[in-house]
Amino acid sequence: MNKNIILYSAILIFGIAAPFIFPAFKVQLSILCILIILSITWNVQGGEMGYNTFGNILFYGLGMYLCASVQVGMFFPLAEWTEGGGEKTFVHTPAQFFQGFGVGLAFAAVVPAIIAGLIGYSILGLRGHYFAICTLGLGVAAGEISGGIEIIGAGQGFTTPPFPNVDRLEARGEFFYFCSFIVLVFTFLAVKAIYSTRFKLVLNAIRDNEDKAEAMGIQTMKYKIIGWMISAFFCGLAGGIMGGLVGYIDSTDVAFDGREMGVFMVLMAILGGKGTLWGPVIGATLFHIFKEGFWTFFLGWQYVALGVLIVVIVIYFPEGIMGWLREKYPERFGEVVDEADRKAQVTLK
Amino acid sequence: MKIKNIIITFVSAIAILFSTSVVSFAKVVGDKIILGAAISLTGKYSSNGVHTQNGYNMAVDRINDMGGIKVGGKTYKFDIIYYDDESNPKRAAQLAERLISQDGVEFMLGPYSSGLTKAIAPVTEKYGVPMVEANGASRSLFTKGYKYLFAVLAPANLYLDVAIETAVELNGGKGVRIAQAFEQDAFSQDVRLGILDAAERTGSKIIIDDKLPKELNDMAATLAKVKAVKPDVLVVSGHTKGALTAIRQIAEMKVDVPMLAMTHCDAAKLSKQHGKNSQYALCASQWHKTLTYKDDFFKDGMTYAADFEKLFGYDPPYQSAESSAALLVFKDAFERANSFDQKKVRDALADTNMQTFYGNIKFAEGGQNVDKPMVLFQVMCDDAGKCENKVVAPLKWASAELIHPIPKWSER
Repeated sequence: MNKNIILYSAILIFGIAAPFIFPAFKVQLSILCILIILSITWNVQGGEMGYNTFGNILFYGLGMYLCASVQVGMFFPLAEWTEGGGEKTFVHTPAQFFQGFGVGLAFAAVVPAIIAGLIGYSILGLRGHYFAICTLGLGVAAGEISGGIEIIGAGQGFTTPPFPNVDRLEARGEFFYFCSFIVLVFTFLAVKAIYSTRFKLVLNAIRDNEDKAEAMGIQTMKYKIIGWMISAFFCGLAGGIMGGLVGYIDSTDVAFDGREMGVFMVLMAILGGKGTLWGPVIGATLFHIFKEGFWTFFLGWQYVALGVLIVVIVIYFPEGIMGWLREKYPERFGEVVDEADRKAQVTLK
Repeated sequence: MKIKNIIITFVSAIAILFSTSVVSFAKVVGDKIILGAAISLTGKYSSNGVHTQNGYNMAVDRINDMGGIKVGGKTYKFDIIYYDDESNPKRAAQLAERLISQDGVEFMLGPYSSGLTKAIAPVTEKYGVPMVEANGASRSLFTKGYKYLFAVLAPANLYLDVAIETAVELNGGKGVRIAQAFEQDAFSQDVRLGILDAAERTGSKIIIDDKLPKELNDMAATLAKVKAVKPDVLVVSGHTKGALTAIRQIAEMKVDVPMLAMTHCDAAKLSKQHGKNSQYALCASQWHKTLTYKDDFFKDGMTYAADFEKLFGYDPPYQSAESSAALLVFKDAFERANSFDQKKVRDALADTNMQTFYGNIKFAEGGQNVDKPMVLFQVMCDDAGKCENKVVAPLKWASAELIHPIPKWSER
């Protein structure tokens, strides 16, 4: 237990100090936090519940558009802001900017969660590949539909309110970093708390054998929907922050970016080890580092390098890094190892 | 054991990568002025990204070979750090941040496309980094009050309104019926706004107004409607893919329209790729090699085109020409500012008033180039099937007369 407290406080201190130790990397660090949030929330479905969703990008994109729209709409007419690709210029005062952003984030969290609840009842009735394909369609459809809605900029994109002029040049980077870091901590703690309750066991039961769980008297649909709403809540928050950070929302390339973010969140969770608490965190961190490295040093070949990495993961770490560690050092994970049994397994091979 | 070795190699490789990445560049190292650029080397804009990069590179080599840039009595040479933005605005904004805060770049060149420029401009503006961009034409870029953004090109809404005006003129001053289809992206939608304005001004009617998806490969539905309602003008815009798709399917479906107005015909190498099928297409262009502008570095358009072809093996589209012009603008501004102070360079840029092989360059308050009109060219083929782009408007540079209406497919 003591060890854990030291570990958590070390991470927390590092998280708070990071933007000051690496001032030039603030944007990358903020994006890292966002990636970790996405991968933790994907893991609730994909890892714990066994429902491989590609639809979480829907909540991320919704959060992004909602946050920006509310932030603008609270003080200025939204339709004029986005008209003609955003020709008119309105300037938020610092107070308006932060107020709007705060309220926007609240909408970005709550609305996607409600939508997850509404669509969950029909979609979560599907299983396996059918569920995956259906959710894949959600993100694509949302991208195309939002690309036609004039009030949020349609194909022209939506320029989010620029950060107000304050004296410090670094303020914008720090603001968005701490926003994303706080949401990350909040997400992690919430998911950790949930994982220590019966709720997680129900999710695992659904993953392992849904019919049996149902037969045991568990209302699986209720749990599936609640699980999805939790993911949607945090995905929406992540999206809202990301929108402000990027400064420009495009329907298919930034908001409902299923091709990149939607796939990355799955990859990261699998890389780290799905179905574990720390797996997505480790996976996202490594993935981000690799990706940035490849982008710098294999210009033009970055996706080839990323592809090789994925092949290596699948061949050498099929259970992800956490799964591999667990196999290697089962004692550390609190599993009782029967030495004789273990040896017998080895000789069997 | 094997796995352990692999991991150790991996970890050390990462460590090495990162230790080298910390070595930061600065704006001016020794005799080099380092510019930063995020370019679409992969993704949906990759072909235009390469045109942009070729344009930049050719100008850098030319300026460096011809004596470089003289600032404060010393001679400097240009150098560019490139990153690949994957045609993604999110990535582009991130890379701009990275170029400025990690690589220490103090002067930027623009990316390809309006969408990406819209994503990058707030970042350069925040840091006060002057950016000369050559490929972001969206009108809304120039109404935001950006002080550090300078575009050597005319805004997107001016691309095709000459075409509509010409059509109206040929129709005896009466309004025409327009069918239009535009890709869902910042640039094409801005071209659409220009058409809407022109239609209102000339009393024309828009009878089809379709949106095309990104990653555009099929517009048969729009063309079927066009066949049914027979508009006077068909306008299509969607970067390179839009131009290629339109010509391919118009030829396949034998769609007859009196006037076909497009963008990106030269970037898509239409006349080469589709030969006679692309004949009569009317295209908006920022530049054409036959224009008679001149400068000391590239002499004139024809020489530029010949030199470009020698280097890269194809006829330069206007995207390359305007990109090359961006570096001429930077060189001129550095020499007039006689300093590397960002504010002074910015002020020098704002005062730019010069002629390049690509056209006159003079920036308005918003940063757009106001001293260079758009040109329209038409793809024309001879009997042997060799096709060429010939300027038809404005009349000052016209080397051929506009063929209107386009002959029917059955008569070709």
